Amino acid sequence: MSKPSDLIQGTLDLLILKTISLEPKHGWAIAKRIQQASNDDLQVTQGALYPALHRLEQQGWIRSEWRASETGREAKFYSLTRAGTAQLAKELAQWERLSNAVALVIKMA
Amino acid sequence: MRRRWNILRLRLRSAFGQPRLDDELDKEFRFHLDQQIAESVAAGLNPEEARYQALRNLGGMTQRQEECRDMRRTVYWDNFLQDLRYAARALQRSPGFAAVIILTLALSIGANSAIFSVINGVLLQPLPYPNPGRLVRLFLHNQDYPRFPMNPYDFRDFRARNHSFEAVAAYTRADMQLSGQGEAEKLNAFAITAGYFRVLGTQPELGREFNTKDELHGNNRSAIISERLWRTRFAARRDILGQTILLDSEPFTIIGVAPPGLEHPGNNYHPLGYGEPVDAWRPFTFGDHPEQRGSHFLEVVGRLKANVTPEQARGELNGLMAQLAREFPDSDAGWSVLVMGLQQTVVASTQRMLLVLLGAVGLVLLIACANAANLLLARATARQREMGVRAALGAGTGRLLRQMLTESLLIAFAGAAVGLLLAVTGVRILVSFLPTDFPRVEDIHVNAVVFAFTFLISLGTGLLFGLAPALQISRVSPNSGLREETRGAAGGRRHTRVRSVLVVCEVSLACVLLVGAGLLLRSFLNLLRSDYGFAPEHVITSTIALPYVNYQGPVIARFYDRLLPQLQEIPGVETVGVGSDVPWTGYDDNSGFNIEGKRPPPHQDFHGRYHTASPNYFRTLGIPLRSGRFFTDSDNLKSRNVIVINQRMATLYWGHENPVGQRISVDDHPKESDWMTIVGVVGDVKDTPNSPNAEAAFWWPLAQVPFGFSDLSVVIRSHGDVAALTEDLRRAVRRMDKSVAVSNVRLLNNVADASFSAPRFALFLILLFSALALTLAAVGTYGVISYSVSQRSREFGVRIALGAQPEEVLRMVLKEGMRLACWGVLIGLAAGVAFARVLDSLLYQVGSVDLPTLTAVAALSLTIAAVACWIPARRATGTDPITALRAE
Repeated sequence: MSKPSDLIQGTLDLLILKTISLEPKHGWAIAKRIQQASNDDLQVTQGALYPALHRLEQQGWIRSEWRASETGREAKFYSLTRAGTAQLAKELAQWERLSNAVALVIKMA
Repeated sequence: MRRRWNILRLRLRSAFGQPRLDDELDKEFRFHLDQQIAESVAAGLNPEEARYQALRNLGGMTQRQEECRDMRRTVYWDNFLQDLRYAARALQRSPGFAAVIILTLALSIGANSAIFSVINGVLLQPLPYPNPGRLVRLFLHNQDYPRFPMNPYDFRDFRARNHSFEAVAAYTRADMQLSGQGEAEKLNAFAITAGYFRVLGTQPELGREFNTKDELHGNNRSAIISERLWRTRFAARRDILGQTILLDSEPFTIIGVAPPGLEHPGNNYHPLGYGEPVDAWRPFTFGDHPEQRGSHFLEVVGRLKANVTPEQARGELNGLMAQLAREFPDSDAGWSVLVMGLQQTVVASTQRMLLVLLGAVGLVLLIACANAANLLLARATARQREMGVRAALGAGTGRLLRQMLTESLLIAFAGAAVGLLLAVTGVRILVSFLPTDFPRVEDIHVNAVVFAFTFLISLGTGLLFGLAPALQISRVSPNSGLREETRGAAGGRRHTRVRSVLVVCEVSLACVLLVGAGLLLRSFLNLLRSDYGFAPEHVITSTIALPYVNYQGPVIARFYDRLLPQLQEIPGVETVGVGSDVPWTGYDDNSGFNIEGKRPPPHQDFHGRYHTASPNYFRTLGIPLRSGRFFTDSDNLKSRNVIVINQRMATLYWGHENPVGQRISVDDHPKESDWMTIVGVVGDVKDTPNSPNAEAAFWWPLAQVPFGFSDLSVVIRSHGDVAALTEDLRRAVRRMDKSVAVSNVRLLNNVADASFSAPRFALFLILLFSALALTLAAVGTYGVISYSVSQRSREFGVRIALGAQPEEVLRMVLKEGMRLACWGVLIGLAAGVAFARVLDSLLYQVGSVDLPTLTAVAALSLTIAAVACWIPARRATGTDPITALRAE
C-alpha cells in the first residue's frame, strides 16, 4: 500500500484533476474515489488532500462552491475550470510519456 | 486571461477575506471528519472511538489548516502587515527623524506633483475638441518668416485642391462694435470661412454656420454670436435667429449661436489673449482679384482625414504650393507650407519653461532622495545591533531587506500624502502666479493622473533611497552585527564612504540647480536693466474702434483732430497722442516696399512693420528721436507724403547713410505721388523685452494713412488720477459719438510689467527650488559631518588629551567636510554648464557658460557647506577627553 507522498510529485494533482473531471466532488468524495479506483492501493490523507485542493484552486485550475451533499449537509464541491481541463490534458499526456519511458527502461534493464 | 482574472480575485479574497476563509476551512474539515466518523460507525465502531480515530488520522487540525492557508500564500500578506506595523513603530520611536525625513520628501514630492499638474493640464491633456489629434494649423514659411499667415486666394486654392483634409477653414481677427441698445460694446470677433465650426468638430448650438455662399460679396451681413453674448445681451431668446443687430453701425442678421464653451484655436495676427472670449463671428469675404496674392493675414486650421499624417499633408500642400508658384511667380515663389499640430501651436510658448521647471523639481527630488538615504543610513548604523539580533533569531536576508524597504516605502508614501496636500495648495498659488496669457490655465487640476504620477514617483523615491541602507543592513551577519556595535568606530567606515558619496551627489545636484537659477537671475536683471526704448511710467492707453461705415479715410484723422485737443485740456495731462498700437502688445502688420534707387537682393524684398502715429505719439510714449523730426500738424493731405522710420530700418537698409530725405513706396509700381519721404528716425522698440532685435518699422502720419485703421490706441501721459482720467476720456469720446466704445484702458506700466511675467515666474520658481535644494544639501552635509564627529569623539578626546589645540580639531573637521563640498561643487558646476544649454531660449544676453554665475554659485555653496560643517566642528572642539574615553 502506498501513500501519495511516495508518488512522484505532481501525481496527486493529476489524480485530483482526473477525479473531479466527470462531476464536481467534495474533498471526502475525492479521497474515497481515489481509494476505490485504485483498489485501496492509494490512500489520500486529509493532510495531503486539502492543501493540494487549496493550491489548485489558487492556481486557477479548479473552482469550489458550497452546495448540499448527498446527505443534505453543506459541503465544499470542487470542479474543473476551463483552464483546469486543459491542464488535465497536459498532465495526462505528460504522465503517459513518463510512465511509458519508465516502463521501457525497466524492460530494457 | 480569464484564469488570471480568477487568480487575482482569489488572491484578493485570500488577502482580505481572512475571517470568512478561516470559517469555511473549518467547515470543510469538519465535514470531512464527520464523514469519516459516519463511515467508521457504519463499519461497527462506537461513535466515541470513531471520532478519536478520525482525529488521529487527521494529525492535528490546526496544522493542516495552516498548510491550506500557506497554499493560499497569505503568508506574504501577513508578513507585509507585520513589516508595516513594525516600520510604523520604528518611526514612532524617533519622531524627530521621521518628521525631518517625511517633511523634506513632502516638500519635494509636493513640488513635483504641483509642477506636474500644470504640465498635465497644459501639455498632456488633449485640447477640448473631438479628435483633437487631427487638428493642425497651416502656415507659410520662408527664410525671413518662419510662420507666416496665408493669402486668401492661396487658401481658397488649397481648400479646393487638397485631398488630405476632411475640412480646412481660415479665420482672421475682425473686432466689431455692438451698438444699438445700451452702451456700445467692443466685441472680440473673427471673420471666418465656411466650415470653421466643422473643422473644430462642432456646430452652432442654434442656427447654422457659414457656407461658401456667405463668402461672396454682398452676402456678408450675417453673424454668429457666442453663447455668452446670447445670454448676456439677448437673454438667451430662442427667437434670436433672423434678428438684426448693429455691428460697427451696420445691420447684421444673426444666423447662429455658437456652442457654449467653444475654445478659440488661437491666432497669431492680432492675437486674442488666451482665455479671452470670442464674442462673434462673421463671414470672411474673398475679394475679386485672385491674381493679387501678396497680402497675408489669414490663419488656417484644418482637420486631417483619419489616415493622413501631418507629414503627408505637408507633402501634398507643398506640391500645391509649387503649382501656385508657377501660376503666380511674383507672389507665391519661395514659400513652403508648414503643418503644425494645433496643440503644439497653443502650448509651444510654455513648453520649454515647463519642462525646465519639471527638470528642476526632479533634481530637488533626487537631492531629497539622497538626503533620505543619508538619514536612513545613519539610523541603519545605529540599528546594526537590532538587525544582528533579528538575523541571529533566524530572519533571512530577504526578510530583512523586505522589512527595510517596507520602512522606506512607508516613509515615501507618508511624504507623498503630505506632499499631495501641499500640491493642492501649491497648484492654486502657482496658477495665481502664472504669467499673463498662459494657455489652458483652467485645465490645471490635481486630478487622478496627478495622483498616479505622485504614487509612481513616491514608489520610485522609496525604493531609491531605501535600497542603499537596506542592502547594507541586510548584508550584516549576526556575528559582526552584534560585535561592531560594541566596538564602535570601526563599523562606520564603509557606511561613511557611502554617505560621503551621497553628500557629494547632493551638493553637486544643488549646484546644477543653482547654476540654472543664477543664469535666469542674471538674464532677468539684464531684462530689467535693458533699455525698453520707451518710457511706460505715467502713460495710460486705450483702444478706440471707429465703425467703418461712418469713419473712412480722412474722417478718422478728423475725429482725432477734434478729440486729442479736448484730452490735452484735462488737468494733469502732459501730452496725448494716437497711433496704430502701443509697444509690447503683439502688433504685427507688415508690408513690403520699394526704396527709391535701391534694389533688394534676389529672392528678398524690403519689408517692415507699418504703423501710424499722430504728431505727439512718440513724445507721449517717450520714444526718442534719433535724427530728423517727428510729425507735425502740417503733415496732412495737402502736404507731401512723409514717414518716420525706426533705427533698425535705417541701419538695415541704409547702413551708415542718413535715410532722412530718402523716399520709399508701398506700391509695386509707384507713381511720383506714391513716394513717401523719410523725415525722421526714431529709437527702436523691440516686440517683447527679450526679442533679440527690433523689427524694421515705419509710421505714416495719421492724416496720410493710405487706408483706414479702424482700431487705434490713444496714449495719454499724465500725472493725474488714473480713474478720473479714464472717466474724462470716456466722457470726451461719448460727447463726440455715442456709438463708439472706449475699451481696454490700461496703464502702459502694467502692459510692460506683463511682458516680464513669464521670465519672472520661471525665475521665482527656480529660485525657490534652488533654495530648497541648497537647504537639503546643507542638511545632508551637516548630517554626515556631525555623524562622523560623534563617531570620532574618542579620537578627538585622545587628541585633546594629548594637547591638540581646538583650532586644529576644528580645522580637521572642516577639512573633511569641505573636501566633500569641493568635490560636489566641482562636479555640480561641470554638470551645470552641460545642462545650462537647455535654458538657452529662456536666457537674455547671458551665455550658458557665465563666469560670474559659476563663481557666485561656487562661493555660495561652499559658504553654506562651511556653515553646515562648522556647527559639528565646534562640537568636536568641545569634546571632553574624560567623557569621550569613558564612553567606551
